[in-house]
Amino acid sequence: MSAFFERNGPLLGSYLIVAVGFWILVLILLPQLAMLDISFRYNLPPSLVGSERDVYTLSNYQHMLFGNPGNPDRLAILGYQTDMPINKIDLAVFAKTIFVAVCITVFDLILCYPLAYYLGQSRTGGSARIFVLLLIIPYWVNEILRAFAFRIIFGTSGVINTALLGLGVIDQPYDFIRENIALYAGLGYAYILLMIFPIYNAIESLDHNQVEAARDLGSPWWRIHWRVVIPFAKPGITSGCTMVFMLTAGALAAPQILGGPSSLWFTQIIYQWFNTGQNWARGSAYAVVLLITCIIFVLFMMRAFKVKMGEIGK
Amino acid sequence: MSAERGTAPFLKVALVVYLVIFFGYLLGPLLIMGVTAFNSPGFPRAAPFECFTFEWFNTLYNDKRIVASLKHSAVVGAGTVILSLLLGLAGALVLTQIWPRLRATYYTVVIAPILIPGVVLGISTLVFWGRLNTMLGLPDDGFLRNGIFLTILGQTTFIASYCMLVFIARLQRFDQAQMEAALDLGATHAQAFRKILLPFLKPAIGSAAVIAFLASFENYNTTTFTFGTFPTLTIELAQKVRYGINPSISALAVIIVGITVLGALLHEAYKRREALAMAHGAPVGSLKSNLKLPSFLAGNPAAVVLVLVGLGFVGTLWFSQVHDPAACKADIRELKRLEADERRQELLKRRQEQRLQEQMRGPDIFVPRTPATPAPPATPAPTSPGRGTFGDVFNPGNLGGDTPGEGDAPGEDQPEAEQAPTENPGRGSFGDVFNPGNLGGSPTDDSGSPTDDSGSSTDDSRSSTDDSRSSTDDGGSTD
Repeated sequence: MSAFFERNGPLLGSYLIVAVGFWILVLILLPQLAMLDISFRYNLPPSLVGSERDVYTLSNYQHMLFGNPGNPDRLAILGYQTDMPINKIDLAVFAKTIFVAVCITVFDLILCYPLAYYLGQSRTGGSARIFVLLLIIPYWVNEILRAFAFRIIFGTSGVINTALLGLGVIDQPYDFIRENIALYAGLGYAYILLMIFPIYNAIESLDHNQVEAARDLGSPWWRIHWRVVIPFAKPGITSGCTMVFMLTAGALAAPQILGGPSSLWFTQIIYQWFNTGQNWARGSAYAVVLLITCIIFVLFMMRAFKVKMGEIGK
Repeated sequence: MSAERGTAPFLKVALVVYLVIFFGYLLGPLLIMGVTAFNSPGFPRAAPFECFTFEWFNTLYNDKRIVASLKHSAVVGAGTVILSLLLGLAGALVLTQIWPRLRATYYTVVIAPILIPGVVLGISTLVFWGRLNTMLGLPDDGFLRNGIFLTILGQTTFIASYCMLVFIARLQRFDQAQMEAALDLGATHAQAFRKILLPFLKPAIGSAAVIAFLASFENYNTTTFTFGTFPTLTIELAQKVRYGINPSISALAVIIVGITVLGALLHEAYKRREALAMAHGAPVGSLKSNLKLPSFLAGNPAAVVLVLVGLGFVGTLWFSQVHDPAACKADIRELKRLEADERRQELLKRRQEQRLQEQMRGPDIFVPRTPATPAPPATPAPTSPGRGTFGDVFNPGNLGGDTPGEGDAPGEDQPEAEQAPTENPGRGSFGDVFNPGNLGGSPTDDSGSPTDDSGSSTDDSRSSTDDSRSSTDDGGSTD
């Protein structure tokens, strides 16, 4: 410690300690712990907080799994009905959120990989920068506005419906919003940049001679990608997939604006507990579940693709 | 695509198709949104382009809530930028000095906020400071629960990580020997920091500040939990989009995209000049005069685009001089009225024919039936709020198929429908029937048609926003 101050001087040294300490403790760790703490408590009016009724409980997590006490839904395993109650609605929303987020991640990966390769290997200098510029512009437009654009396109009087009606393909406007198609398109769109840039950065540093060598040795194009490019770009792909998954699963704006009336996103349930429900404890419990899911996903990606944390953050 | 040259021609075609699809997906929505900003209907739509107008920009300018939220955004953005730069710089410097064993853990902790979902950050900030507020015995509206304070802290949590990444990238190229030399020559630590490290980090500070501000400006997930009574622009926009849409939002988007493109092009032009300067071994400033040369312009796509944008802007201005939106709108209204009249005539004719047919089939009335059953098929339609008053009743399809068949007593169906309008308050008795959009395509839709009649008849933002509130049950009702 004294070496640290010797190196930085008293002024700079204390600035570093105070700033980093404030960031890590007050902004990162303590709030998460506070959220964890409140998630194990009852939802009490402010006057009762700290009184003897303010005790720890698992009720918020129980609610997410089993629903309210009078809940008629029962868990069924492979068609066999058990006696265990189950919170069908929330768990279904949770499962759907994770599943859709995975699908969108895969979709974005398939969509972005060719462009990342094209930009990284075949374009250099000016034209690559123009492409990058074209990619960045939509990304700096507000998330809300991007969702709004999709609402204009997919609305019942939107561009697609007008075109299809005009062409005579359909005779009734198709409700893309109710069917969640608008939502999926909007979510896939929203975080596409975070998929393309890590992959692009990885592929750009690949020596093109390796690709040439593989081709000269008679490898077909798909095997070049499978054996040369993808293994090289693995950290970028992992990083992109992780970011897109986390952001999609944690998205709130797009589901609020583009989601159908009968469908919910998991973050929307959290939002409801906080705002309309005024139950911070339960909302926190749900948020903890989301956080833990995301941590598990990151750990899984790091393990499965043998990538270090430092490579994901890039 | 040099890499694929000679391998297979179909790859080339596939590449072009793919690029078109990709950039269509990426830029198409923004273009369409841009078009709606200049179209006159009250509900943002691009397809039947009616009248070219700037009125939505005016609406936007007169929207007090938007203007107020812009101020909140600016305050929050400034606070977040300053705090994030301070924390991010400290975080990056500590990373270069921390014990190697702790390095990975430390890095994981400070990079984690980027990966933690935004809603979780917002919630944890809200909960933590709320608790602290209670613990310290401060009043409920105390400074620790102030929306701007919480929003700045919540956003800084992860924006500081962005800044730190920018600083780390720059610091990797820093030669520590410079600092040591300065210290050896008798500079104090503060002096060495200020005279050596800070100037070296200057470009990184600039780009980190820009990134931090943009990230703060567009953040929604965290802010939505922490804003309290100070909605930022993004929050205000989200509420507008969820509870009622009008094209002034598109107008705002056009402005934001315009600023973004301009900023990006300027940045690009600067980068080009820098690259050129590097190539010639001259400082950047000396090339400024070369900007006028056509050859430079020819070699610089960004400048070309800039010129095109400028021409487009001038063209737009000229067009707005020639073009009179009011006259065009009157034309469209007239057209719509004529069309509606035509439709109405047609409907009346059909109804008469229907009546005639019913009279011909007179004996049907004497078919035994219970008095309670007659009308059910017809009643649900008019009571549904999203539909035109005469909604499905007048739909030719309904008249042809349903009514005579199911109703069993066609003579009674009509009066039932005539009464329907009174059940539906707040609408003109002929409601949406005269709206050509309704009659043409389908009876109704949730988001589109109710706003149509409000938009075409109003010049003012508030009325159309309120009207459309009733129509957005597709998006707004989810929470």
